[in-house]
Amino acid sequence: MESSVQSEPQVEDVESSTFSSSEPHEERLTAILQEMEYLNTIGKRFVAAIDRFQVHRALLAALRDQYSFSACCILLKGDPFELFIIPSYPLSASFLEAMVQRIASAASALDFLDIDPRQLAKTAYLDAPDELALPGSQKQEKIGDGEIRSGLNIPLTVENRIIGLLSLFDEKASTFDTNLLQLTTMIADYAAVALENVRLRERENALWRQADFERQRLELILRSMAEGLLITDAHGAIISLNQSAQRYLAPTNFQREVPLRKLAETSDVEWLPRLAEIVDQALSGEVATNQELVIGEGSETVPLTLNISAAPLHEGDSVSTRPIGVVAVLNDVTSSKQVERLKDEFVSVVSHELRTPLTAIKGYTQHLARRIERRIRKVRNTPENNVPVNELPESYDLRSLSIIQGQTEHLERLVNDLLDLSQVQWGKLDLHYEHFYLADVLAETVRSIQASAELHTLYLDIQAQDTSILADRLRVAQVIGNILDNAIKYSPHGGKVTVRLEGLGKEFLVNIIDEGIGVSTEHFDHIFERFYRVHNTASQQYSGIGLGLYVAKAIIDRHGGRIWFSNNQNSGSTFHFTLPRRPRTIPLG
Amino acid sequence: MSPMHDNSSSVSREQVTEAYLKAIGLIDERVAPLLGKITTRVLVQGAARRVMNEYPFLHFLVTRPYTDIVPSVIQEQLSGVTSTELAAGLHALLDECFAGLRELTGDLIAPPLHDEVDHQLRQIQ
Repeated sequence: MESSVQSEPQVEDVESSTFSSSEPHEERLTAILQEMEYLNTIGKRFVAAIDRFQVHRALLAALRDQYSFSACCILLKGDPFELFIIPSYPLSASFLEAMVQRIASAASALDFLDIDPRQLAKTAYLDAPDELALPGSQKQEKIGDGEIRSGLNIPLTVENRIIGLLSLFDEKASTFDTNLLQLTTMIADYAAVALENVRLRERENALWRQADFERQRLELILRSMAEGLLITDAHGAIISLNQSAQRYLAPTNFQREVPLRKLAETSDVEWLPRLAEIVDQALSGEVATNQELVIGEGSETVPLTLNISAAPLHEGDSVSTRPIGVVAVLNDVTSSKQVERLKDEFVSVVSHELRTPLTAIKGYTQHLARRIERRIRKVRNTPENNVPVNELPESYDLRSLSIIQGQTEHLERLVNDLLDLSQVQWGKLDLHYEHFYLADVLAETVRSIQASAELHTLYLDIQAQDTSILADRLRVAQVIGNILDNAIKYSPHGGKVTVRLEGLGKEFLVNIIDEGIGVSTEHFDHIFERFYRVHNTASQQYSGIGLGLYVAKAIIDRHGGRIWFSNNQNSGSTFHFTLPRRPRTIPLG
Repeated sequence: MSPMHDNSSSVSREQVTEAYLKAIGLIDERVAPLLGKITTRVLVQGAARRVMNEYPFLHFLVTRPYTDIVPSVIQEQLSGVTSTELAAGLHALLDECFAGLRELTGDLIAPPLHDEVDHQLRQIQ
């Protein structure tokens, strides 16, 4: 064995000289074969070791073939360092202490950083062989005077990386032999690889445990979610869903692995095509947010309503590729809808109550205005009257009444908007079509609003020859009134407001141009939303309830027209809307 | 082991470095088959860390393997260091390497190798 642990070049020399066969060479070949068999036996022991203690046993067995020693120690790099002490027999405390000190010095020589012998001694793990634990064993007696007389430290190396240190100590002198050093290093290399494999296996197991824990935690979260959550594959077939989603989708009798689109083709469930559409939208790469879906029975006052958001799932971080599925969140918003419904009903009731006194105010104001007009006419026709008509007290009264009338009409429009809110909200905005001239309605509304807008000058610019139209006259007047109210409100310093009517083939285009504050870009997407109001600035308060443009849009949409706005180049904004001269579909009634 | 700076005034830094690198190379040649290929490299790094307080210009050997030391590195890292200082520093480094080797294997390798290295350094001088 001793000859076999010479340096590697000597082994090569032996191999190269094999062909000049002679007796001594045959002996050396036999020795090499024995060495290989021996290494193979050691290797098998290390390969069979599945935990670090089995590696320790294999190492101890291999080393004992070479030497008789007091203890074998394994120091593994890491944070913190790990030190395992495997004694051959019970060791005295001073021997143990001296060993730790020597290990720390050897580790420092190999540039192990921040190694502290006291810390090592505290955390050292004593891996005593089983036979030492046998009761009554003589080996239990502590042997030795505590002095180390032989020591050997060999780096544990894996792929040119030192992972630790193997240390052997003995109380006898000259235990270790230079001739066996190479073989001991080979054994240390086996041990190093085996320990690294154990470390990797432990790390892998820890990662698997962590992954499993995370998976269970995620499942628990998804199961406990009040919101429904469903995940589809790339074809739109549900592959996973939580309990809430299962409850919502129960009426569809859905089957996993059948695309929702396909399911919708044969299903009687009315809302399923819309759900499939939302999923398909996300599958095309587009995020669908806040899509409302009524899945309850139509007979219910407020049916079960879901708010659905769906997003495409991409593999890894790549968003450029086709989604591999969709994740959708289904949120029950029925209670919000109930609250909305109650609010709309309340608003409706209050509006009705307001309308009755308003009608009376409007009627009596009109009556008073006519009486004063008659009186003015009478005074004007009296020969002895030499006061100009405009300076008559009655004329002042008439102007005041005009303001009251204008404001009453403004109030009436607000009340009408409130009344219309619930109709628009629930899609029940009815139109009463009649033939009229659009120019007339524009003129009447402009006149009415001008009466209470003393700071503003309203212009009517009719650029169409024939302005006859079949539409809901009152609703159209409401739209113009709402937009004009807005134009005046957001032109606090007065100025010009122009109402321009143009004929464009089969439709009319109405532009209402003001010189007010304009619309900031952050409001662009919301200005036609209900209850949306341009925020008051610190210096300026703008009254209103945020319904005028919402109702106006609903009325124009219902007529089959379009409504939009743009900011003017210098100041103010222009609201535009189109109205078909004739409805595209024949109105019933 | 006698340091090389006895007559180093006539020796360049490159020559000093080359002589000590050869000495370390000899240690590596003898140690690698017995303790593995990487041992000498980390012994040199550990030794450099221990001497760097006294010889700060050797700090680069803590992070850079001695096998990477070429003339351009010497120019870059050792500007302003005299041959005498360099020889003293490298000698201390070599002593620490042997001390480290003794920590590992006691007297199994170090004494004969020490003589061999000493002999080689004397020959270069």
